[in-house]
Amino acid sequence: MNTVDKVLVIHEGLADDQMVRNSRAPAAFVDGAYGCRGLPRRDVSAIFTGYGVDERELDPRLSQPSIEWIRSQHNRDPGLIRYYGKYLGAAVRGDFGTSESLHRPISQLLAERFHVTLRSVSLAVITAWAAAFALATLSWLFGGWLFDLSCTLISGFMLSLPAAVIALLFVYLRAPVFLAIAVVMFPKLFRFIHNLLSHASEQPHVLAARARGIARPQIFLRHILAPAAATLVALLGTSASMSFGTAVPIEALCDSAGIGQLAWYAAINRDLPLIINLTLIVTLITVACNSFADYSSKLISGEI
Amino acid sequence: MSVRKRLRIIAAFLLCGIFLLAIAAELVTPYSYAQQFREIPNASPSELHPLGTDGLGRDLFSRLLYGTRVSLLLAPAAALLSTLIAGALGGAAGFLGGWWERAILAMADLSMASPLLFVLIALRAILPLNVAPLVSVIATFLILGLLGWPSSLRVIWAATRNIRNSDFLLLARSTGCGPMRMIFRQIFPNLRPGLFAQFWISIPVFILTEATLSMLGLGVSEPMPSWGNLLRGLEDFSAVTSNPGRFAPLVMLTLVVICFQIILPSQEDLG
Repeated sequence: MNTVDKVLVIHEGLADDQMVRNSRAPAAFVDGAYGCRGLPRRDVSAIFTGYGVDERELDPRLSQPSIEWIRSQHNRDPGLIRYYGKYLGAAVRGDFGTSESLHRPISQLLAERFHVTLRSVSLAVITAWAAAFALATLSWLFGGWLFDLSCTLISGFMLSLPAAVIALLFVYLRAPVFLAIAVVMFPKLFRFIHNLLSHASEQPHVLAARARGIARPQIFLRHILAPAAATLVALLGTSASMSFGTAVPIEALCDSAGIGQLAWYAAINRDLPLIINLTLIVTLITVACNSFADYSSKLISGEI
Repeated sequence: MSVRKRLRIIAAFLLCGIFLLAIAAELVTPYSYAQQFREIPNASPSELHPLGTDGLGRDLFSRLLYGTRVSLLLAPAAALLSTLIAGALGGAAGFLGGWWERAILAMADLSMASPLLFVLIALRAILPLNVAPLVSVIATFLILGLLGWPSSLRVIWAATRNIRNSDFLLLARSTGCGPMRMIFRQIFPNLRPGLFAQFWISIPVFILTEATLSMLGLGVSEPMPSWGNLLRGLEDFSAVTSNPGRFAPLVMLTLVVICFQIILPSQEDLG
């Protein structure tokens, strides 16, 4: 067994020990605050006394070469620009570094788990949208004040429940994860679509169409849905961000092996490279979704 | 009096009642939130323990009252912080315009692009997990307050931009009114209803986010109670079925959030 293996074995043996994790707290805090080892070590150590000193160096079981190896790990930071240059270069090649708690490449973890979340989130978005749109449309077409009030009360009640409680309910019911995400998203989507349709139905051209005796379904399709389409498409982009955020508590509590659960695991184990990479990747996905929705929305409204 | 107004009055009374009960927790219950009765863990409701006890033998009613105090005092504090940040940045962006506006809006867009919960747990992960309970409470709500401003900022920015282009501000400028006077005498009073609405909207959002964070073990730490970590009691299915008192935090949280939703000022109230 070489020196690096020995260090890793000892480190893994101590990984669950809260004392070890806590003793590394100042270093982890500064790492996180400065973009995950972004600032040159000399600058940081000038500000935070004790930064860069790894408590593992005090472990009497470690040999001198192991201690030297730990120190060399801390001295690898080449400076801010070179660090981020290297990070971005590696990220482009699909190398996001290694998870500190799982000791596995982050890209491998993502490859294993991303499709699970993508499937749950896609199904959830479709289900929530279908339910919210159908109910809002029914409410507009056929609903009286009682139907409207019931929908508002139910959605208001669902909005008042934390996502984690809904996740627990689905654990007890043994229902699929995507349905839990859909239930969290549904009331927000319903309220937005309902308000959008109500607002559109008060427009003068809709009142004029009604006065001319045009049938309600036709008014809905031609005079309400068509002008609201651009806003609805924009809302679709926001749904992506909403669903990924909801996936964290749902996957963590429902024990679904997706990136939401991975993010929670990384947070509990203070695995900064993993959590920061996950946040960056989810941000990129939501930015892409929002940009696509924005472009589509402008295309529909004729701005492009 | 309209139905909405009546509902608002009832909701306001309920909120005040719950708030007073939480403030006077020491007078209402004789037990501290951390006091253990080790001989009666997971006890059913009784005269001594109206909601029973948890797995460690702590009185659930006391924990609920103290937890209500934590959530109901700190969620508004976090909402105030985020509204102040949104007000300052949104106001500056709307009033100054130019590259200030572009930079602040870009910052807000960037913040809104990442799901709040991901950023929250990333930031929470940076902080030590086994800090003193009081520090964990302050850290949780401080992070919520510091991260919850971007959506409010957009609203404040839009309102400020409208005021900047208004006739009365043009008149004030033409009469030699200085920038500080314009901000405090002309802009701020007109922004007040918007800031007030954003403050009210943020409170239930922060209450729910804290509950989710604490249920995941990343919020307020034991033995300090909050609605979030009291809800973790629902994870024990056998205890939940034997003691319905475990649902009390969920009922309280839902009731408070619904009350806040009802009280929220409508467009007509904001003028």
